[in-house]
Amino acid sequence: MKDWILPYLKHHKGRISLGIFFGLLGIGSGAMLLFVSGYLISKSSLRPENIMLVYVPIVAVRAFSIGQAVFVYLEKLVNHDIVLRILEKMRTRLYKMVEPQALFLSSRYQTGDLLGVLSDDIEHLQDFYLRTIFPSIFGVITYAVFVSVLGVFDWIFALLMLLVLGTLVFLLPLLSLLTTRRQHTDEKQQTNKLYSQLTDAIFGQVDWQASGRTDEILGRLEEENRLLVKTENNLRKWKHVRNALLRLIIGFVIVLMIIWTDKQTGQGAFSPTVIAAFVLMTFSIMEALLPISEAVEHVPTYKDSLTRIQKIEDEQAEAVEYANDISLDNTSPTVTLKRLSYHYPGQSKKVIDQLSLNILPGKKIAILGKSGMGKSTLLKLMAGVLQPNEGNVLVNGQSMTNELLSKTVSVLNQKPHLFDTTIKNNIRMGRPQATDEEILEVIERAQLTNLIASLPQGLDTPMQEMGQRFSGGERQRIAFARVLLQNTPIILFDEPTIGLDPMTEQEVLNTILTATKEKTIIWVTHHLAGIEKMDQVIFLEDGKIAMQGSHEELVQNNKRYQKLYQMDRGT
Amino acid sequence: MKRKKGLPSYPGSRKLYASLTILIIFETIGIIAQAYFLARAITLLFDRVPLNDTAPYIALFFLAFILRHALSHFQEYLTENYAQKTSTNLRKKLVKAYFRQGQQFIQTEGTGRLVTLAIEGMDQLKKYLEIISIRMIRTFIVPLMIVLYVFTLDKISAVILVVTVPIIIIFMILLGLAAQKMADKQYATYRVLSNHFLDSLKGLETLKYLGQSVKHVYKINKVSKRYREATVKTLRVAFLSSFALDFFTSLSIAFVAVGLGFRLIDGAMVLFPALTILLLAPEYFSPIKEVGSDFHATLDGQVAMGEIDKIIAEDEKSDMTDQVTSFTWTPSSQITLKEINVGDKGSLILKNINFSWQGTGMIGIIGESGAGKSTLINLFASFLSPTSGEFKIDEKDVNTMKNDWLKNIAYIPQHPYIFPASLADNIRFYAPEATDERVKQVIREIELEDFVNEIPEGMHQKIGEGGLTLSGGQEQRIAMARVLLSDKPIILLDEPTAHLDIETEYEVKQVMLRVFKNRLVFLATHRLHWMHHMNDIIVLDNGRVAEQGTHNQLVKKTGTYFNLQHRLKGGT
Repeated sequence: MKDWILPYLKHHKGRISLGIFFGLLGIGSGAMLLFVSGYLISKSSLRPENIMLVYVPIVAVRAFSIGQAVFVYLEKLVNHDIVLRILEKMRTRLYKMVEPQALFLSSRYQTGDLLGVLSDDIEHLQDFYLRTIFPSIFGVITYAVFVSVLGVFDWIFALLMLLVLGTLVFLLPLLSLLTTRRQHTDEKQQTNKLYSQLTDAIFGQVDWQASGRTDEILGRLEEENRLLVKTENNLRKWKHVRNALLRLIIGFVIVLMIIWTDKQTGQGAFSPTVIAAFVLMTFSIMEALLPISEAVEHVPTYKDSLTRIQKIEDEQAEAVEYANDISLDNTSPTVTLKRLSYHYPGQSKKVIDQLSLNILPGKKIAILGKSGMGKSTLLKLMAGVLQPNEGNVLVNGQSMTNELLSKTVSVLNQKPHLFDTTIKNNIRMGRPQATDEEILEVIERAQLTNLIASLPQGLDTPMQEMGQRFSGGERQRIAFARVLLQNTPIILFDEPTIGLDPMTEQEVLNTILTATKEKTIIWVTHHLAGIEKMDQVIFLEDGKIAMQGSHEELVQNNKRYQKLYQMDRGT
Repeated sequence: MKRKKGLPSYPGSRKLYASLTILIIFETIGIIAQAYFLARAITLLFDRVPLNDTAPYIALFFLAFILRHALSHFQEYLTENYAQKTSTNLRKKLVKAYFRQGQQFIQTEGTGRLVTLAIEGMDQLKKYLEIISIRMIRTFIVPLMIVLYVFTLDKISAVILVVTVPIIIIFMILLGLAAQKMADKQYATYRVLSNHFLDSLKGLETLKYLGQSVKHVYKINKVSKRYREATVKTLRVAFLSSFALDFFTSLSIAFVAVGLGFRLIDGAMVLFPALTILLLAPEYFSPIKEVGSDFHATLDGQVAMGEIDKIIAEDEKSDMTDQVTSFTWTPSSQITLKEINVGDKGSLILKNINFSWQGTGMIGIIGESGAGKSTLINLFASFLSPTSGEFKIDEKDVNTMKNDWLKNIAYIPQHPYIFPASLADNIRFYAPEATDERVKQVIREIELEDFVNEIPEGMHQKIGEGGLTLSGGQEQRIAMARVLLSDKPIILLDEPTAHLDIETEYEVKQVMLRVFKNRLVFLATHRLHWMHHMNDIIVLDNGRVAEQGTHNQLVKKTGTYFNLQHRLKGGT
């Protein structure tokens, strides 16, 4: 709460004051419209000889009626502008926060779409400002101004109003918050439970039916629904009680106003013409105080979002600082792994264990192994995004860091994201300063030229609109062209053909190998398609090399490899 | 998106609308009474009648004030009850429809969308039901009654009030159109800008590997700023419609007030009716103002209502009940597919499929992607019904025994669904009564023992969403364990091993082949090695059965299968 709300309020206090100022002018105009109208007809009923006596009120009535609409409009605009400004800042902050830990978030939190959730959380906080914070601040200030104005006439009555209206502004909202806090949390939990039960029911629909347990899951869903309805009913009951109380107090306040203005008139402090004016005005002031209770009641619903964001921020990995003056020697680099070991923080099991390997320039290496045997970790170490616990990864004798990424080493990761922009912009992301000729060249090499030529908008075709129409193979080629644009001597591939059907897989593979003849290729893969074209095949097991050799050597001498190769070939 | 407009009609809605109409008529009487007594009280005080003599009128005002709000609460209460009952009922029907429409329907509609519709969509519908009926009936009754009463007091004021409404409507339409035009014009850029942040987060890993992730923060900053500027620009126009509403209603009140003032000066009128009218004028506009609020809630509700009603209506149309039988597949049972077509006339997915098989055995289904392998598996599973042709089990139409048929089947997709429950409970999903001992035995049979021994809580370890994540090979083993424990006679597999690494694939295959023994197995895949073990192979080409036979027979033929084999191996 402190970190994600208050600083933004403070930072924007100027604009917020402006919003409140317009809001006050709006509510003031509404109140004055009724005040002056009341005064106008009271005064007119006395049939003044000179029409000029009511001239000012007539003009004022029109002015206030216009003012009301204008100021409310301005207030809304200012408030939305503030919220968007805050959103802007929060987005940047969230990005800076998750950027260093990007590669580990999914393994740490195990939720499919944590980043999507965080982005929603921030959007959700917009409502916190618009529906809770602004109306509350505004209500309290209206309350203060109203009581102060009354204080000018009669401080005892002002004191009375301070107390009576205080119940509207402070007591009931507080009561609301305390009464409903539990229920709002319950409601959220129950909705989440209903969500997961329903997801379960639908994802496992076949299994439920095949096991004859359909009624069981439907019954469970009904039960969850019943609990949720119960909570909702409790909330509803409170809402009605609260609103009834609010109305009762307002009715009471108006009666008090009638009595007070009458008394003031009796004492000669007021002219009878303002009785109607004061009473009418009170109606419109009360409207500004009504929303506070409901606004405050929603505070607990934002807590989840705030806690989630806070949690990620607290666990922020320490950013590693790299020296910037790395001199690059990109001519035929050798990659050397020297007794490399790695274990994830807080775990004792070594994912990579004393692994050594020497890869000469231009060689093609395939890395295989079961899931959990360290393939991806090895790739991350080689990409320099993970730092080894022992040993090192050397590129031409120089320690690999992620500074070298995109300059000496490129990575085509498993599910490369294609951004919601044009094909050209997507490819250009590989190297923003690349010329159009260079882009055309990598498109040629990724064998995309025909595809691009067939599109009416060519390179400027947006990815998203065509998202459904680009096949898996085409998407991979675009991602590959992006990596080619970086023009590095070493490329790491993380199962780039997974999920493609075998025919497409063969085609993509051929394209990639043709386009990277001169380069060093390290290819993490799960089966043996294209294995004959590799210079060396490595099987990892428990972080160590279990099998190693060229395809020909292994196929001749290694029983286990023979078995696997036979199966893969289907013979 | 289709929207349903007008008052929704569900069971109980007519009764509700009738009650609401009566309540709202009384509420309006309360509103008029409130204004009447307040005006009376103020007029008396204005004439300096002592407070004691005015007190009854003040009391009556207070009563009327309480009455109108009580009636308004009562309306809300009734409507909320109705909305809740209706939505609970609809949710039940909707989920039932999901289940009855089955797997094919779920796959096409998308699980996420269906879940969201049943929860968020239903909430939107509920909210819509809560607001729409009161609001629509109020808009008709309250202004009408008030203006009729005002007419008896002062004709000119009534005319001003009546005339304002069409002016408001015209301006709202004009501004609405302008806002729409602007929104349409900006839609494409607007969508990209608003999606940019989420898109960046989703692509963060890629940005990182591209070495662009640090620099990207400037872009986020820039785009967010452009997004804000574009949004504020749109809002400027969008808010104009509520501005117009405010503007014309308060201007109308001002006109009424000034007019009353002039007639009072002329002596054409006295204070009491003038004050009553002034008090009633805002009440006259209040329901009209409310119509425009919660625009998005209304829109979302209408869209959700359209979708929900459609799914339920379609389900009720295709209402089929199974004949009560109890069927178990035995070695003498026979499955027959006769002249089956699936798909629309112009684009058939399966064409003229004929197939029959008796008892146990392994049947491979092979073909290029898009040849119709998965559709054929879905057909065997009765997830979808053929467009034409016959699918019979022992001379009985499958449609009349779907539940029984499904109970014989284990359907195993590439990623079998793992429930968020313990490993043991996942394994005994089809056979909940199985003892821990049996589960242990099965774990041994599927060679998952080492893994179970290694994890902290053994077979009681929670897996699935929120628990331990399993690898692809382990998921398949769990699926096999389910089959073993429940002893299902039929197994349908859709590409079960292509995503596994080669070593795991080898191991899982050995387990599977053991489980397949003495069962009827249909296995769709493009991994050729499976074909050696099959008793029969259906070769699909473009939705047709191109060839059928054992591996050896088909190889000799040097036809479609032979060519396919060649191509899948990477030859050209």
